[in-house]
Amino acid sequence: NKNKLFSPATVPAAAPTMAMRQTPLTCSGHTRPVVDLAFSGITPFGYFLISACKDGKPMLRQGDTGDWIGTFLGHKGAVWGATLNMDATKAATAAADFTAKVWDSVSGDEVLSLAHKHIVKSVNFTQDSNHLLTAGNDKLLRIFDLSNTDAAPQEIAGHGAAIKKALWCNDDKQILSAADDKTVRLWDRTSMEEVKTLTFNTSVSSMEYMADGEILVITYGKTIAFYNALSLELIKIAEAPAPINSASLHPEKDFFVAGGEDFKLYKFDYSTQEELESYKGHFGPVHCVRFSPDGELYASGSEDGTLRLWQTAVGKTYGLWKCVLPEDLGADNSEQMYGTTPEIKA
Amino acid sequence: MTTPVPVLRLPKGPDPNSRGFDPNSPRYIALCRTTVATTEAAGGDEEELQQEQHARSVLRERFLRCLLAMNNKKVSDLHTPIGVQKEALIRSQDVISFTFDA
Repeated sequence: NKNKLFSPATVPAAAPTMAMRQTPLTCSGHTRPVVDLAFSGITPFGYFLISACKDGKPMLRQGDTGDWIGTFLGHKGAVWGATLNMDATKAATAAADFTAKVWDSVSGDEVLSLAHKHIVKSVNFTQDSNHLLTAGNDKLLRIFDLSNTDAAPQEIAGHGAAIKKALWCNDDKQILSAADDKTVRLWDRTSMEEVKTLTFNTSVSSMEYMADGEILVITYGKTIAFYNALSLELIKIAEAPAPINSASLHPEKDFFVAGGEDFKLYKFDYSTQEELESYKGHFGPVHCVRFSPDGELYASGSEDGTLRLWQTAVGKTYGLWKCVLPEDLGADNSEQMYGTTPEIKA
Repeated sequence: MTTPVPVLRLPKGPDPNSRGFDPNSPRYIALCRTTVATTEAAGGDEEELQQEQHARSVLRERFLRCLLAMNNKKVSDLHTPIGVQKEALIRSQDVISFTFDA
């Protein structure tokens, strides 16, 4: 009987911390691999999560519960990148149909379709949501003025191969891009020139930018590397047991999480780079992982077509997770509460 | 021995019949402007307001009749998100939005 966790007689008088096992929350709905995900900032209505999927139908979810809010319909191909603006009023998506689209994220309506010459992989709003940075297989960075959509976008050339990710940084004065030419480049937005380049032995698998502290998180092979986003100087490096596809740093910079080819999620201590925990749950490689803006949970997207939400502090009451105190046990629970195994899906 | 963290329920999945974005959600109501707001008739001109309300209800009825008339219609050269269909049968429940050249 899963509702009864302990019989009252075995619980000691002083409530100890029970050893709790991580219960990931599975968000189903996508029918193909989930390749990208992004959180909004914290809004008066909570925070939100968008997922990019090869099924061409990006979805918006409530960030703290994973509850589905809506599906953005319109793309005619796999969606490779998705992002939300800070207040979650707009969404942008990058797709294999050679378009990037901007959406009203409250009504779900498509607002703008921006034609490109090849598969678009990455989209990113400026903080004021007035400009959209796009990048993809045509090796160009493009800056669209969303208040003047008739105007042609500014284009920045330089990468020698398809661009995987492009992000605004340094208060939207600069741009960071990672491409299959095994480089990560820093560009000045005004001059549109290359400021600095990092070269690797292999293509970078992911890149995350944290404005607070100007930290860049880059993954390649089994490595998770942290750089100063302004100088591109290396801060520190960590190694995971398996090839990593994505990593994310906690807003308070005490932890980072990573996921990759062995289907597991890894949690590390940022100051010591020590691996703290690993979690099984996904049935396929993990493609993306992101911390929520409040750091209370992280979301992962996988080849298995699901998103999973994981607690940072396992056992804490937050969102749909409910902490059970020993004194609650044995009493009549009017709420439906049950322990779930990772295999149970919505 | 570890116990899995209990959960109140599982995350809600997508509605198979709708694309979501519930117009009755607090966020939608707070942030979405109504498409055409009712005119604030100065001095509360009753007759003008009534005329406007009548016009709105005529438009609503016309829209609904249009949807009904479209149902089970065979069309050619239908542009859809997955491409142009040479011949197609319109089923109302699949329609999210439509435009046509008369």
